[in-house]
Amino acid sequence: MTHTPDLEALRREVRDFLRAEAPANWRDASRTQDDFVATQRQWFTKLVKAGFAIPHWPARFPGGGRGLAEQKVIYEELAKADCPRLLLSFVSTYHAFATLNECASAEQQAEYLPRILEGETWCQGFSEPGAGSDLAAIKTRATREMRDGREVYVVSGQKVWSTMAQFAQKCLLLVRTSSDGPKQAGITYLLMDMDAPGVSVRPIHQIQGDEEFAEIFLDNVEIPVTRRVGEEGKGWAVAQTTLASERGLTLMELSYRMRGALARVATLIREHGHDEDRGVLRDFGELATQVDAVCAIADQFLDNRINGIERMGDASIVKNSYSRALRAYAKLGLRLGGMAEQYVAPITFGDLNTGNWMADFMNSYAWTIAGGSEEVQRNIIAERMLEMPREPKGWVI
Amino acid sequence: MIELNELTDAAQKAFPASALSPSRDESWGLVAEMGWLMVRLPEDDGGLGLTREASTAIHFEMGRILATTPLIPAQLGLQAVLASEMLAARAGWLERIAGGDYVPLHLLPTKLEAAADGAISGTVGGVFDADMAAAAVVRLPSGYALVPIDAPGVSFVERPIWDPSRRMFDLVLDGYAPDPALMLCDAARAGPLHDALAPEAHLALAADCLGAANAALELTIEYLGMRRQFDRPLAMFQALKHRAADMKTRIAAAEALLWGRARDKDATLVQCGAAKTLAAEAFAFVTEEAIQLHGGIGLTQEHPIHRFMKRAMLNLQLCGSSVLWNERVGREALAKLD
Repeated sequence: MTHTPDLEALRREVRDFLRAEAPANWRDASRTQDDFVATQRQWFTKLVKAGFAIPHWPARFPGGGRGLAEQKVIYEELAKADCPRLLLSFVSTYHAFATLNECASAEQQAEYLPRILEGETWCQGFSEPGAGSDLAAIKTRATREMRDGREVYVVSGQKVWSTMAQFAQKCLLLVRTSSDGPKQAGITYLLMDMDAPGVSVRPIHQIQGDEEFAEIFLDNVEIPVTRRVGEEGKGWAVAQTTLASERGLTLMELSYRMRGALARVATLIREHGHDEDRGVLRDFGELATQVDAVCAIADQFLDNRINGIERMGDASIVKNSYSRALRAYAKLGLRLGGMAEQYVAPITFGDLNTGNWMADFMNSYAWTIAGGSEEVQRNIIAERMLEMPREPKGWVI
Repeated sequence: MIELNELTDAAQKAFPASALSPSRDESWGLVAEMGWLMVRLPEDDGGLGLTREASTAIHFEMGRILATTPLIPAQLGLQAVLASEMLAARAGWLERIAGGDYVPLHLLPTKLEAAADGAISGTVGGVFDADMAAAAVVRLPSGYALVPIDAPGVSFVERPIWDPSRRMFDLVLDGYAPDPALMLCDAARAGPLHDALAPEAHLALAADCLGAANAALELTIEYLGMRRQFDRPLAMFQALKHRAADMKTRIAAAEALLWGRARDKDATLVQCGAAKTLAAEAFAFVTEEAIQLHGGIGLTQEHPIHRFMKRAMLNLQLCGSSVLWNERVGREALAKLD
């Protein structure tokens, strides 16, 4: 007999927990990067203890073993309660977890997984200056050598757009071990200590003043061969596991949060006396419908996954729907806010809908560019869902 | 869910995508035979007693083939009769409708005046296919009523529209004396009845829009795959692929909203109006793009893509335009978020 989870009981349990423990005023406590990191760590610890931080992990971990339907309930409630999103630990609990859980050795799993729950933070060393949408074009070199009697990869190169790498202790690293054959074939997957000699990190100063990402410079960094995930030259397949680790929950959560944050636009409309401005009401109505539709499609996508009827390209449609709505949301707020939004105001770290409209507007590009740009998603929709032909390869200048 | 799939399969078998806009009268016979006129009629009244999702699925398929048969006004007419507590021969009318009599609700406003003796003159707008109707459900000054098409003082005049898949008429009343036995509700109940029928109308139209939008996108992709320029199919050009992907994305989001609202029995009028507006705007966007992507052939009658665009433009206007509904949605959202 299959176990049918009592979703409503879980919902009550999460609500009771959140009523007692949800951090109040976390936005005020996230005005600087350091405060943001501290807030994130506290909230993660609380959620781990309560058993709601890692519902997607196996049951042998406390709070794990929950199906997608249960995960959905937890994320719905976190969004409705307007709690901080788990940003700092996201790469650790999703990307690092999935990679370790599905592709790593038993020794590697035993070494790293428990430490994630204790707060060890991972970052992702994938993108490079010359390898964004075309990730397989990475150039960071790793050569296998004997150093001090142990076999290591010696790694040199540069990684970019690594989320919160400046706070991470570990890194999921893609390197090139061979330049022969197809570019995917020469990629190897390594686990790197961020405090290893030769690693330096430089935060990226984003246009809105946030430093959510960093560059990682690697100068003859030694990584023991035992820290390799999968075989040498087979890293591309492991990377696919990393990238597929989170499908849909985040976008559902973000959509619900955007729906809640429509209240911020409503406040602007009132504050600026547009209550009876029919043009403004139309713009607001159009946005509200767009946001409702995004919630509906994010919901439907998860339900389809739960029922095992997800189709190729569905995830791209959800992502493009959300990211476009987020852009529209921020754009309307910025326009309604008027001149007041042109004076610099403090930003809130770790939130997309803060009511600092100029910052939110700049931040709203995060979703049309990161995680597979809008244009890449369009290619996926066109080629894999609509079955339009791929462009011929082998274009040369 | 199985029920819905079966309906969809049956619809696609009876109305294959290869035959756009099949003959109205033959389609009507087929639709009656398949029981679709009774989909929303409760089982106790001799109908199929199916849900709003089921009728939504049918309207979706009817949109896909640009159906000429007026199923939406027919369903709304049936629901008006069903909701009536006044109609003397209610059971008899339900039986007639289930048997194939066409009793549409008008979908555009009326301009009517009552004389001192109660006789009514003026026009009733938006009566689709009045030429095949037995009676129409009309909002008279005294309330909703059945108006037999052949009654004295009743005539109809066709109002040619750009959309070739539909036929629109005005009902012209010239001193028509309403039959008290045919009243569905009095003036006081007319507003509530309208507001009870309107969500049904919105969802049916939204389904029509999205079924048709999907078909228009399929035709466009087929054309892009077939048409070759610069030694390759147009479908290979990324600039065009991206536009097709955006068309699909707009349709998919509107569909998710539509099905969510169709399943939600408590969905309000404004929520359903919003779903229709999003669907109609998506349909309009898709067909506007579709003609451009077809190039020259899209501007000829030789290719059917223009018919989708014309239906889209009409659908935008039915049950209130986007201008009206976006404002109402905005107003309500503002009040709710206060």
